[in-house]
Amino acid sequence: MSQPAQPGLAGRFLSAIGEPVVYTWREVTGVARMAALVFQYMLRGKIRWDAVAAQMYEIGNKSIVFITFTLGFLGMILVFQAGFQAEKITGDLQLLGALFLQILLREFAPTITALMIATRVGTGIAAEIGSMVVTEQVDAMRMNSAPPVEYLVVPRFIAGTIMMVVLVIYAVLVCYLAGMFTGLYAFNVNPHTFVNFAFVSVLDVAVCLVKALAYGMAIPLVASHTGLRTHGGSAGVGWATTQSVVSCSLSVVILDFILSGLSYPLLAAAG
Amino acid sequence: MTLLSALGPGDPMIRVEGITKYYLGATVLDGVTLDIPSGSNLGLMGPGGAGKSLLLKIIAGLVEPDQGRVLVDGHDVGTLDAHKLAQLRFNIGMVFQNYALFDSMNVGENIAFPLRQRGGVPEEEIQARVREQLALVGLPGIAHQYPRELSGGMKKRVSFCRAVIPAPPLLFYDDPTAGLDPVTSSKIFIHLRRMQQDGGTTAITISHDIDGIKPICDRFALLDHGRLVFHGTRDEIEASDDRLVRQFWDGFSDD
Repeated sequence: MSQPAQPGLAGRFLSAIGEPVVYTWREVTGVARMAALVFQYMLRGKIRWDAVAAQMYEIGNKSIVFITFTLGFLGMILVFQAGFQAEKITGDLQLLGALFLQILLREFAPTITALMIATRVGTGIAAEIGSMVVTEQVDAMRMNSAPPVEYLVVPRFIAGTIMMVVLVIYAVLVCYLAGMFTGLYAFNVNPHTFVNFAFVSVLDVAVCLVKALAYGMAIPLVASHTGLRTHGGSAGVGWATTQSVVSCSLSVVILDFILSGLSYPLLAAAG
Repeated sequence: MTLLSALGPGDPMIRVEGITKYYLGATVLDGVTLDIPSGSNLGLMGPGGAGKSLLLKIIAGLVEPDQGRVLVDGHDVGTLDAHKLAQLRFNIGMVFQNYALFDSMNVGENIAFPLRQRGGVPEEEIQARVREQLALVGLPGIAHQYPRELSGGMKKRVSFCRAVIPAPPLLFYDDPTAGLDPVTSSKIFIHLRRMQQDGGTTAITISHDIDGIKPICDRFALLDHGRLVFHGTRDEIEASDDRLVRQFWDGFSDD
């Protein structure tokens, strides 16, 4: 078999530097193109609502227990740590609940929930679509003029977006309740004192929901894009699953950085 | 064909021109050129890893070649936009090497999928045609089962039903009888020959069962390490003195 020309030392050096940049660029543009296609199909009304409902159950209902445990424990840990520090420094725990709710809405509830969903749902989407690629099911769709993005990505995108918002609202409740009980049993903070909305504005709620929406859109897109790029049999599915966790988590963190950066001037201006 | 045929007089239905494909630094298809006239059935042979399935996917537009082009019905597959490619694919039925049945659908839904995608066929007719196809391959009454409940041979037959149900003018079979017992293989080959005779379909059949494809194909091609070693009619392959061709055609090895 003839081999294509191999690059020299300089070529290999440049390739080693440029490869991650090119890879990242291809990933980002690939996801952006897929997002454009998804919106195109949605605008044309090509939405299979039965598939959306099935995915909502898969992404939302099946994540409830996972989110309850992770965010519940996180609420307890956060309040315990914050209360412990506040008690040592000021000895005043009056504002524990109010400050906890503010940081919960602005940061922890949407971002931690999204990271959890990236591991549970993102891997599931990448593995499922990746398996369909290696078993030629995606090729069979294309041969029957059924675009894989319309059939596989659009339902997951819609379901992911809706259920992420629902899960984040649920996560806020679970986390706050867990924190409230920790405040009561660890620091003797009365629930009436703990439940305090003094530091929370509509803008905080808006930031929380915008983040949930952004993560809910990003995770299915990134995971589906990774799944559709699977090749090489079962090893490829393993690669897609791992890659999906890394890419989805990275997108959540980067989106968090951007959205926080955009929202904090507004929050600061609002007082 | 759904697309307006762009064929000139004497043009082949499928023309493969200098197809080259690299994968992980190796050349997996090396300048493959062949013509498939309308109404003929090409038997594509070769050892495992020769590039047969890849060539079939390139012809179907599922994989882009690095060099060369494929003309199907006079249309350059690589230059068609998504809509026209979709229209062209409505004219192609394909049996995949790994069955490619949709896990989320039952057998009936899998077989009906191409008809539902094309649209315009009443539901009663779809159901009747699904039943007819399943009976033809000896699997009546399994329409409600899911692919995970079927054996490999049964999946292959269901995959075959899905490919042929819309009676497309072009059929691509990637090892349609792999994993099947001799009786079922023979039934499939008889069915292929009948379709060939009745409908005048143009087909490409990849198979390691050379004796099985001898009666149904009128042209043969042999790929080896990505290169086209032979391409011609039955008379030409029978007259060929190429050692690899003889090995495949007559079924013997050097050992």
